[in-house]
Amino acid sequence: MNIKITTLALLATTGMAGAAAAQTSFEYWYGLSGDLGNVVQETCNRFNASQSEYEIVCVGKDGYEAAVQNTIAAFRANQHPTIVQSFDAGTADLMLSGEFYPVQQMMADYDIEIDWSNYFPGISNYYAAATGELFSMPFNSSTPVYYYNEDMLAAAGIEEAPLTWEGFAEALVAIKDSGVDCPYAYAPSTWIDLEQFSMAHNIPVASNDNGYAGLDSELLFNTTQHVQHMENIQSWINDGYAHIRTAQSGLSARDSFVQGECAIFFSSIADHNTVGKIAPEGLNWEVQMIPVYEGFERHNTVVGGASLWVLSGKTEEEYRGAAAYLSFLATPESEEFWASNTGYIPVTQTGYDALIDKGFYDAAPYAGREIAIRSLTYTAPTNLTRGIRLGGFIQIRSEWTNEVGAALAGQKTMQEALDTAVERGNVILDRFARTYAGKTFP
Amino acid sequence: MRRAYFKNNWIAALVVAPQLLIIFVFFYWPASQAVYWAFTLEQPWGGGNTWIGLDNFRQVLGDPVYWQSVTASIIFALSSTVLAMGMALILALFADRQLKGYKIFRIGLIWPYAIAAPAVGLAFRFVFNPNAGLLSFVNKAMPGLWDPTLNGNQALIMVIVAGSWKLISYNFIFFLAALQSIPRSLVEAGAMDGAGVLRRMRDIQLPLLAPTFFFILVINITDSFTDSFGIIDTLTGGGPARATDLMVYKIYSDGFRGFDYSGAATQSIILMVLVIALTFVQFRYIERRVHYT
Amino acid sequence: MIERTPILNVATHLILITGLALLLLPVWIAYVAATHDLQTVNSAPVEIWPGDQLWINVQAAWTQADFGPKFVNTFIVSVGVVVGKITIAAITAFGIVFFNHRLRMAIFWLIFITLMLPLEVRIVPTYAVAANALMPFQTILDWTGMTWLIERASGVRVDLQWNMLNSYTGLILPLIATATGTFLYRQFFLTIPDELVEAAKMDGAGPLRFLWQVLIPLSRTNIAALATIMFVYSWNQYLWPLLIITDRANYGLVVVELGNLVPDAMTTGGGVPNWHIAMAATLMVMIPPILVVIFMQRWFVRGLINTDK
Repeated sequence: MNIKITTLALLATTGMAGAAAAQTSFEYWYGLSGDLGNVVQETCNRFNASQSEYEIVCVGKDGYEAAVQNTIAAFRANQHPTIVQSFDAGTADLMLSGEFYPVQQMMADYDIEIDWSNYFPGISNYYAAATGELFSMPFNSSTPVYYYNEDMLAAAGIEEAPLTWEGFAEALVAIKDSGVDCPYAYAPSTWIDLEQFSMAHNIPVASNDNGYAGLDSELLFNTTQHVQHMENIQSWINDGYAHIRTAQSGLSARDSFVQGECAIFFSSIADHNTVGKIAPEGLNWEVQMIPVYEGFERHNTVVGGASLWVLSGKTEEEYRGAAAYLSFLATPESEEFWASNTGYIPVTQTGYDALIDKGFYDAAPYAGREIAIRSLTYTAPTNLTRGIRLGGFIQIRSEWTNEVGAALAGQKTMQEALDTAVERGNVILDRFARTYAGKTFP
Repeated sequence: MRRAYFKNNWIAALVVAPQLLIIFVFFYWPASQAVYWAFTLEQPWGGGNTWIGLDNFRQVLGDPVYWQSVTASIIFALSSTVLAMGMALILALFADRQLKGYKIFRIGLIWPYAIAAPAVGLAFRFVFNPNAGLLSFVNKAMPGLWDPTLNGNQALIMVIVAGSWKLISYNFIFFLAALQSIPRSLVEAGAMDGAGVLRRMRDIQLPLLAPTFFFILVINITDSFTDSFGIIDTLTGGGPARATDLMVYKIYSDGFRGFDYSGAATQSIILMVLVIALTFVQFRYIERRVHYT
Repeated sequence: MIERTPILNVATHLILITGLALLLLPVWIAYVAATHDLQTVNSAPVEIWPGDQLWINVQAAWTQADFGPKFVNTFIVSVGVVVGKITIAAITAFGIVFFNHRLRMAIFWLIFITLMLPLEVRIVPTYAVAANALMPFQTILDWTGMTWLIERASGVRVDLQWNMLNSYTGLILPLIATATGTFLYRQFFLTIPDELVEAAKMDGAGPLRFLWQVLIPLSRTNIAALATIMFVYSWNQYLWPLLIITDRANYGLVVVELGNLVPDAMTTGGGVPNWHIAMAATLMVMIPPILVVIFMQRWFVRGLINTDK
């Protein structure tokens, strides 16, 4: 006879909604905070209101890292949510652990029709297996662009926002000569300066097709055009054509642009929403695709932001609920809701087309965001422009940032900095490979 | 030192049991798991690990960047302790004189302690940033003079000041209380013997402060090693170029952000050993000189 | 004092005023930020004089973060921590100061070491424990073969479970484990003169009587100090509640909500930086601990280390 003794389980119960009805309740932990987090909550409320079979409980975790880390902690105690929002760089460990339910397979299992080819390739490739099957549901996607002050460029005699870096350099000189002290507000960012830069130029960040083909990858960015680019940035700063503006220095690049101090800054298209809200009257601004060096063919940029992963170890009802929520998000109405309340771009072709038809992108405050789609879909993704799939990538990014910071502070040359970053990054990659010895990316 | 004791050791066992139980469940048990990770390569999502013995330690201790972090942490700890204790002591000694307006000073100097760390960091950001904060006026006079985003030393100073801020308030509470418990008769006797205010401070009040001083010293040093995370996160993020990448921040970055559980566990053990050693030194060599009764 | 030291008096006042100004400066800045609107608060340089949006921002913050129930929750948790901490720290310090057994120092160090490994570092395994607080004992029973033994002997399979997630217990218990209180009491108990103990023993009082009737009354100011500090400490908790509470509507705490209001710099999404609302929320969150500190400081400043025995 087996009787289980369960002690003191009365004292505390998990906080699930005590729905006695047939409603299945499941949890979704997301990382967006502030007003973006509120919009996520709204999508949950809309889902709950649209049907009565499932109830989604959405919990904001104040940041991507906290969301993933809390999920890991919960996973180890078997208290994890069904869906988690995980940012791009945080997915390598999850992928190798296999502790997830690939969304494409899940939808197929529950007979939910989704046109997977509808997703922009520049987005879906980031989250797909080598076979093209999607692991996670793209959700908040963005890509970088640069924002420029139309008046300042016009005053410097620049007709069109430059699409080459050579043209960009000339523009900086012209803007400076026309009296603007800060043509370019620069904030070092691996995402923009290294990753997206390499995508647009179709040059590698690391071997093995940026990590897709195996775990024994090595970083390559100290040997590519990236070095020349960073050296150019350094000389611009030294000559006064660019100034460093980071949030930690008090005035972020975006804020200095918005206040009319600097003429240009680079950021994700998602900032389009914010700039629109905090820009004062009279600031005429536009966006443009990130430039490419002459001699290189422009390729597509890839997505940033995060996607939604369905974790293993849950019940079938919870999975059905998760599938319902994810397909709800994929409807055109939801995409429009998301695109109009945040600066993120639609992730599907039909969603995008629907918005175009409605004239969504014809006028402020949304006009200009279609540039991002152009950048994302400029070419079909090649082996090098699918995305990045490297382990320990957050630490690698941090090494790059530290080394570039040291170079910009004059402590070493940019080549030395990038060499050190690659060296230390390779140690991280090697460690990652040993941790997952014998495994490969699915 | 001691003294008179009670005999019944069973009662002793009974009274210490609750706390021991709680720290066993909520500290030692989880900590031992973290210790275990330091000897393996742990996969964050579970699914296995590889035992590698002391390799993690070798890697961490052989990394020059790590020693940079240790140096920065030691500088930070010593500087903020000296700053926080020194200022709090001065403020307490002078507040103890109970001149006019004493109550206002007492209240005003105590409550900053109550403010949450993220709020402190954010508010300090407004004070310190070179382009938009209060200190930007310094830069108007001599451009580029104050720039903690590029100058590692200045960033460290900024972080030390921010870190000491809360501690000053905390220390002040204890110092003032201890000073106020010194019998007035003692101080008056000193005055009648002709000792001036400053002399009295030096000869009478400071020695009697010794037990509190020791308590504050230990707490300040320990806190500045283990509790400085919030300030760094809001103010500098470990930069520029790792100048303010203190040990506890590095642990958080590597573990919580970078998913390197094993590396973070290794560094935690090293941090713990360092702090234990420091505390042990304090107890053994400094507590000797403290007269309790 | 009886002397006249005008210069020193002026110097004293100057020092105190400067100290006060320096300490209050950041708070002033936060207050000013809370009184402006979105555009002003994001422009440089930072505003030094307050605007007029305070009430609007406060209302926005209150509704956005749903502060009402959160304040109540945080209050419950903080009071729970205070009561638990005072009691446990007192009796533990008592046990290691007034008895002469060989394990005294060992126990003190065991407790003290808990200060040296910050929560950020051990948070993942601590969560696993909170999900089942009896797991350590279950594991011990399993490893020593006791589970198997009991099952063989009586047919009863022991499976201990105590889920503390999303509960007040889970929020309170881990916070009681800190060592500061025990250390503080130890310092104070060490100053108790031997004569008192001798006198109690001669009167035939047992150790517990001594604790209750002599030590605790003497420790009043200590207790006040510790209560204040622990209240502030648990009120300002962020990392732990963020992790174990997923039912924010019922168990959420204020500082976690505050973190939610502050825009996250990590996202490539760039949320609108609602600093004015975040600062207004900060001010509101600050008020209860400040009130507690101001209210309690009368008692404990009067002598954390009491001499009139």
